[in-house]
Amino acid sequence: MQRRYRTIPDLKVHESARALSFEDPALAGKLTAMGLLPGTLIEMVRAAPFGKAYYIKADGIRLALREEEAASILLEV
Amino acid sequence: MRDVGEKLQNIALVGNPNSGKSTIFNQLTGLRQKTGNFPGVTVDVKEGRLRFPGGSREAMLSDLPGTYSLYPTSSDEKIVAAVLTNPADTHYPDAIVYVADATHLEKHLLLLTQLLDLGLPVLLALNMSDMAAEIGIKVNAAKLAERLGIPVVSVSGRTGENIQKLTTEIEKLLLTPWQQRKPFYSLSEPEKQIAEATCLNLNIKNTYQALLIAHHRSWLPFLSGQERAILDTITQDKEFQSLRAQVDETLDRYDLFTPIVQDAIQRPPQFPSTPTDRIDAVVTHRWIGPFLFFAVMLLIFQAIYDWSTIPMDLIESGFSNMNVWLKTHLPEHWTTDLLTDGILSGLSGIFIFIPQIAILFFLITVLEEVGYMARVVFMFDKTMRRFGMNGRSIVSLISGGACAVPAIMSSRTIGNWKERLITTMVTPFISCSARLPVYAVLIGLAVPAKRIFGVLSLQSLTFGSMYLLGVLAAFASGYAMKKVLRTRELSYLAIELPVYRIPHWKNLWLTVWEKVSAFVIGAGKIILVISIILWAMARFGPGDAMQQAVVKAQTEAIAQQLDETAAADLAAAYQLEASYAGFLGKLIEPAIRPLGYDWKIGIALIASFAAREVFVGTMSTIYSIGSSEDDVALRAKMKTATFDDSGTPVYTLATALSLLVFYALAMQCMSTVAVVARETGTWKWALFQFAFMSILAYLGAWAVYNLFS
Repeated sequence: MQRRYRTIPDLKVHESARALSFEDPALAGKLTAMGLLPGTLIEMVRAAPFGKAYYIKADGIRLALREEEAASILLEV
Repeated sequence: MRDVGEKLQNIALVGNPNSGKSTIFNQLTGLRQKTGNFPGVTVDVKEGRLRFPGGSREAMLSDLPGTYSLYPTSSDEKIVAAVLTNPADTHYPDAIVYVADATHLEKHLLLLTQLLDLGLPVLLALNMSDMAAEIGIKVNAAKLAERLGIPVVSVSGRTGENIQKLTTEIEKLLLTPWQQRKPFYSLSEPEKQIAEATCLNLNIKNTYQALLIAHHRSWLPFLSGQERAILDTITQDKEFQSLRAQVDETLDRYDLFTPIVQDAIQRPPQFPSTPTDRIDAVVTHRWIGPFLFFAVMLLIFQAIYDWSTIPMDLIESGFSNMNVWLKTHLPEHWTTDLLTDGILSGLSGIFIFIPQIAILFFLITVLEEVGYMARVVFMFDKTMRRFGMNGRSIVSLISGGACAVPAIMSSRTIGNWKERLITTMVTPFISCSARLPVYAVLIGLAVPAKRIFGVLSLQSLTFGSMYLLGVLAAFASGYAMKKVLRTRELSYLAIELPVYRIPHWKNLWLTVWEKVSAFVIGAGKIILVISIILWAMARFGPGDAMQQAVVKAQTEAIAQQLDETAAADLAAAYQLEASYAGFLGKLIEPAIRPLGYDWKIGIALIASFAAREVFVGTMSTIYSIGSSEDDVALRAKMKTATFDDSGTPVYTLATALSLLVFYALAMQCMSTVAVVARETGTWKWALFQFAFMSILAYLGAWAVYNLFS
C-alpha cells in the first residue's frame, strides 16, 4: 500500500518537499522557533559521514538533524 | 564619569544564536568588559560598560546567551527566560537591544515579538546589513520601525558601521519613557485564564510574563516552593497543555510578523548557491570531512607545541633570572625565601602556560567563529552518542585539550541532562596543557631518544600515546556511564549550521584575552596559594628537625669536600626530608610503593592534587636543585635517585611509565573539581568524579608498573 506521508529520510539528495506537521511536540517547539514551520520547503543536502544524521536546507537556513528527528517531520507527498 | 548617585542602568543584548550578538557586544564595549555571574543561576555572562556620546553617561550592557525563543531547551537558553521573567533580578534590563541577522530576518523576529509582549523597551539592531546588501536583500528600516513600533538601526558588527548611531539610539531609548502597547500575540482562552490567575496569585502585572512563569514553573530559580505549588494547581485546573500551547503560540507569532517582514524587505526570488554550500560540499563530505577534521586537530597540536616554545622559554628564563637576582640582592631570611621560592616560583608556574592557552584558544575560537564547529557537531553526533554524549560534546572535548575548566563550562549548550553530565565527567580525562610539562620531564627521563624506522621519534610517540590514553579513558567511561545512568529526558541534535564567515579580529583577540586573564586570575590564584603552602611545608619542620638536618648536611659536606653550591643543595635536600612535607610524603609511602613511588614522589603527588603543574617545581626542590630551574638538571638528578631502604634506582622505565599513566588519569586539579560542583549544582558529582578518576589512575599506574618491572 502506498504510504500517505513521507519524512525527511525518504528524500533523495537535492530533492525537496514541503513540511506538513511534526510528530514530536517537544521537537516541534524547537524547530518552529528555529524557523522550520509547517509549509516550509525542505531540501535534503546530504547525510552525515557516519550516517544517522542529515544536513538539510529549510527556506534559506541550514540545519543538522538526527535521523529520528528528521523522521518526525511529515512531508507532503 | 557617570552622574553621581545614579544607579547604572542595565541594557541586555538579546538575539538568536549566530545573530552576531557577541560581535556587536565587543564593538560596543571593547575592553571595558568582564565575565559576571548571575545569582541563582550559576552561569557566567559577559558584562561591559557602554559609554554614551559626550562621555557623561554610562550604562551596563550584558550579553545574554543566544536563544531562539523564551521557551528554552538548554541551560544556556534558560538563563534568558529566567532573567527576563523576573523584574527583581539584578540583571533585569531597563532596555533591550535585540540583534537580528538582516539576511535571515524572517526567521529572527520570533523572540523580538516575545520581548515586546513582556512590555520591555526594545530596540532592533539589524546586524550584517552590509552582507544583506551584498546578496541583494533590500531592508526598509523605516518601514520596519513603523510597523513594529520600535526604533530600528541598520548596523554591521563586522565593519563597525553605524555602531555610533546605535549607541545614540540606546541612550534615547533609556531617556524616553516607554509607551505600553497592545500585545503582539493575543492569548488563547485557556492561556488567558492561566495568566490571569498567575497575575493575581503572584502579584504580576504583565500577562505574558505570567504565562511564561506558568509554563516554566518547574525550573525557574526565583519561584518559592509555595508559588510553585500554586502554579501547579492553576495549570492542573485548566488542563494546560504546555507543549501544544508553545507551538501554537510560535506559529501564531510567525503569522503575525511574516507580513511585516515581507512588507519591509525585498529579496531575490531564489537563494543562490553560496560559497557556504560549496565549502560544505567538501568540509562535510563523506570521506574528506572526517579526514579534514583529523588534519585540523593535528595542526592544532603542532601549533601548541611548536609555536609556544619561544615565548615559554622567554618567560621561564625571565623568572629564573629574576629569582637569582633577588636571591643575591636581598638579605638571607625566610621572607626572601617566601618571595623567591614561594611566590615567584608560583607566578612562574602560572605565566608559563599563557602562550599555550593563548594559542589553543585562538585556534578554537577561529574554528568556532568561522562556523566549523557546528559542522563537526553534525559529523560526529552519531559517534559521540554511542558514548553517551551529544555531537556538541566534541567542542568540550577538544577544548579540554587546553584546559578542562572552560571546556566544562562550554557544555551548557547541551540540552539533555545525562549527555551534559557525561561530557562534564569525562572531559578532564583529555590531556590538558597542565599535564604537558609533567609528560615532558618524565618522557625525557625514561624514554630513550631513539627513532623507529629512522623517522618516528620514540619520545614523541610516547607523547602521542599519552593523549590517546586520555581520549580512550574519556570514551570508555562515557560508555560505562551511558549504560549505568537512566533518564527519560529527550535528547536533540537539531542545530543550525551557520553561514561561513571570516572571523572578526576583535572577537578573536578579546576571547583570547578573556581566557588568558581568566586563567591567570582564576586558576592562578590557586596555583599561587598552593605554591606558598608547599613552600611553607617544605621550609618548616616539626621541633628542631630542620636545624639537625642542616648540621648533618654540613658535616657530610665537609667530609665529602663539597663546593658551596653542592653543599647548599645537600642541606636543602636534608631539610626537605625533615620538613612537614617530607613527613607527609613518608606517611603515604606505603600506599604508593606498589606503584613504584618513593616518599619524594609522594610529596609531589600530594602537591599535584591541587594542580598538576606544580609537579616539576616540587621535584626540583626535592632533588635539591632548587637553585637551577632547568629540566635537564632535574632529569640528571632523578636518574641517579635510589630507594632509601633497598638502594635500587627509583626511576626505572616502569616507575616513569606508571607516573605518566597516573598523571594522565588522575583528577589533580582543584579548579576543575570546583567548576564541576558549580556546573552540576552539587558536590556529589564532583566527588564522584574525583574518586572515580583517582581509583582508575591508581589501578592503571599499578598495572603499568607491574607490567614493566
